[in-house]
Amino acid sequence: MTTTTPDAVPVRPPLLVDENVGILRRIWRGRIWYGAEWYITIFGALILVFMTTMTLMAPRIAPYDPNEFVGAQFTPPGRGEQALLARAGESPVGPGADLTGLVIGVQRNQNGVNLARQLGANGERFQDQASMLEALQAGQVDLIFVSQEKVPDALAEQPGLAVVTGNLGRDFLLGTDNLGRDILSRLMWGARTVLGVALMSALLSSSIGISLGLISGFLGGAVDRVLSLTMDSVYSFPGLLLAVAMAAMLGPGLINVAVAISVIYIPTFFRVVRGQVLSIKEELYVEAARSIGARPITILARYIFPNVIPSVAVVFSLNVADAILTEAGLSFVGLGLPPDIPDWGYDLSKGQSFLVAGHWWMVTFPGVLITFVAMGFSLLGEGLSEILNPRLVKS
Amino acid sequence: MDKVLYGIRDLVVEYRTRVGTLSPVDHVSFDIQRGEVLGLVGESGCGKTTLGKALMRMIEAPGVIASGQLLFDGVDLMQLSRRRMRELRGSRISMIFQDPMTSLNPVQRVVDHMTETIRVHQPSTSLKAARARASELVDRLGIRQSSLGDYPHQLSGGMRQRVMIGLALALRADLVIADEATTSLDVLVEAQFLDLLRELQAEFELTIVLITHNIGIVAELADRVAVMYAGQLVEMAEVHDLFRDPKHPYTQGLLRAVPNIRLGRDDLYKMPGSPPNLIAPPRGCRFNPRCPQVMDICRVRDPAFELVTPGRRVHCWLYQDQPEIVSEKVQARL
Repeated sequence: MTTTTPDAVPVRPPLLVDENVGILRRIWRGRIWYGAEWYITIFGALILVFMTTMTLMAPRIAPYDPNEFVGAQFTPPGRGEQALLARAGESPVGPGADLTGLVIGVQRNQNGVNLARQLGANGERFQDQASMLEALQAGQVDLIFVSQEKVPDALAEQPGLAVVTGNLGRDFLLGTDNLGRDILSRLMWGARTVLGVALMSALLSSSIGISLGLISGFLGGAVDRVLSLTMDSVYSFPGLLLAVAMAAMLGPGLINVAVAISVIYIPTFFRVVRGQVLSIKEELYVEAARSIGARPITILARYIFPNVIPSVAVVFSLNVADAILTEAGLSFVGLGLPPDIPDWGYDLSKGQSFLVAGHWWMVTFPGVLITFVAMGFSLLGEGLSEILNPRLVKS
Repeated sequence: MDKVLYGIRDLVVEYRTRVGTLSPVDHVSFDIQRGEVLGLVGESGCGKTTLGKALMRMIEAPGVIASGQLLFDGVDLMQLSRRRMRELRGSRISMIFQDPMTSLNPVQRVVDHMTETIRVHQPSTSLKAARARASELVDRLGIRQSSLGDYPHQLSGGMRQRVMIGLALALRADLVIADEATTSLDVLVEAQFLDLLRELQAEFELTIVLITHNIGIVAELADRVAVMYAGQLVEMAEVHDLFRDPKHPYTQGLLRAVPNIRLGRDDLYKMPGSPPNLIAPPRGCRFNPRCPQVMDICRVRDPAFELVTPGRRVHCWLYQDQPEIVSEKVQARL
């Protein structure tokens, strides 16, 4: 056996599909057999796992409420901690002392008010840092909160200040947006929206597209012609434009957006399935099924449909990737979801207007995630198509 | 019991295509006797497979059975509803296909194929009972029991073809149409397969129509032979008579074209010309442009498929009374 194998062709161990080993080990063995496609597929699958975890765990792992104004506006990534400052020499309390009943000046900053409440003090809001410092000097407030990173500047400007306690409160790993909402939490909750809408629309379009494709391909004749013509006319619309029109017609809402997106992908499923059915219909085993007297519905359900599934699986995962982009696109143009549902596309479009002001983190993180997830699904789909398509298997 | 199992009367299959209507089965009449093996031979494209499918009324659009009667066990299949016809397929007439590699559903296991065949016709059979019958069947066919759980791609070609016979026999069909069933098997597997087929034929008193272009298989297995050319039967005889004394010039050519080790390398007979275009077949006898013994009448009028000696029918003017050739003008007026 090995003697007949040319040197250039590496001998691959057989893929023992029937051997009684665990599913994980079987997947692990696949790497030898499928090579590059295996890595691509696994990478895509890992992204999918990552997304799913984020989706399911969002309520537990998100540090803040995605819709609440929890921090200062435009807090850069990794910042957001506060320092407690007092007049030098006349500090009412030492570090770690009881602050009950004291008034803390807070600079237009919800997080500071919350923080003050946690410390047992009352927060009072000020428009800017200058007026807050004035109030401190005038004795209107006992203490003030200043962002940790601005402490050296504040001390240089006002010599009569002293730091009571530093590093209070949590920071914002990915910063905050223009309303002081935590971007990380919004991304985590947004993953639910994105995945939900994308999967829902892909499920919707696949179930409609597959059944119509099966019917059309199997029956042929006038039904086939009418359905094909309808699908082709839907397909000839630019996808995003059609989704925009549908979304505008249906109005905002999670389900509506999913429906709007699903419409543009029905023809994709339809075409793939119909084409497959047309070729499978000519297969000898379908004729053999007829020769044993199987009913048409049996032939469709047990002989044709199962053989269509591999190609549909590939289209499905590629479509999820595409649907994520379309959903982001819809939100970007303002036709997506109502504003109280956190969504990557919405964040991206909002962040865009603040990019010129230097707040790069508002667009970067949602944008990276959209790219990442769409890429993950595409890789999964491409990898699967390489692995599942017997015609592409290298000998 | 009637000796004739299946009487085919004046069967015409037409394909109505854009370039014209062609009939790959043109006014074919013959009987299939109960319990016989009938070999059906001819070149590729002569209509053998179409005839086989027509016997099951399985001609698909754009093809259509234009006329004729299919008298199976006294019932004209052409009169049956589609539903009744479906019930007949698999239970009384079944078919084994040319390519065992593709004639099994790749996503169904062997056992699923068998239970499905049984349950299509006897929906009341429990899955367990159907499994038990599949298991018996597999024993009889010489397939390992463990193969029941295999998918088709895990089986060799010979094994798959055995599974196909199993499906044909699952419901004790009276008539099995084997369409080039051994073409894609290698000679050793082919021999095993033919042995099995012969055993099963004796055991189940099967009637088999053996469609093939391999004359050797026909000589080996068939009781009677029908030779087909361009959609028509040209000769039908007992297998020994046919091989000893072929009457029709086409049959003679066909037998001479079989490779023989005793002949020199360049002596293999090649029949001149090629099969006619069925959209516009030659006038008169369809074989006349290639016939070495062509006569004037052959170019004008088609002979009948007549009994020339007991048990033998030939479609040739050489063995029939020739009518006077009428002139072209008179012919046109007729």
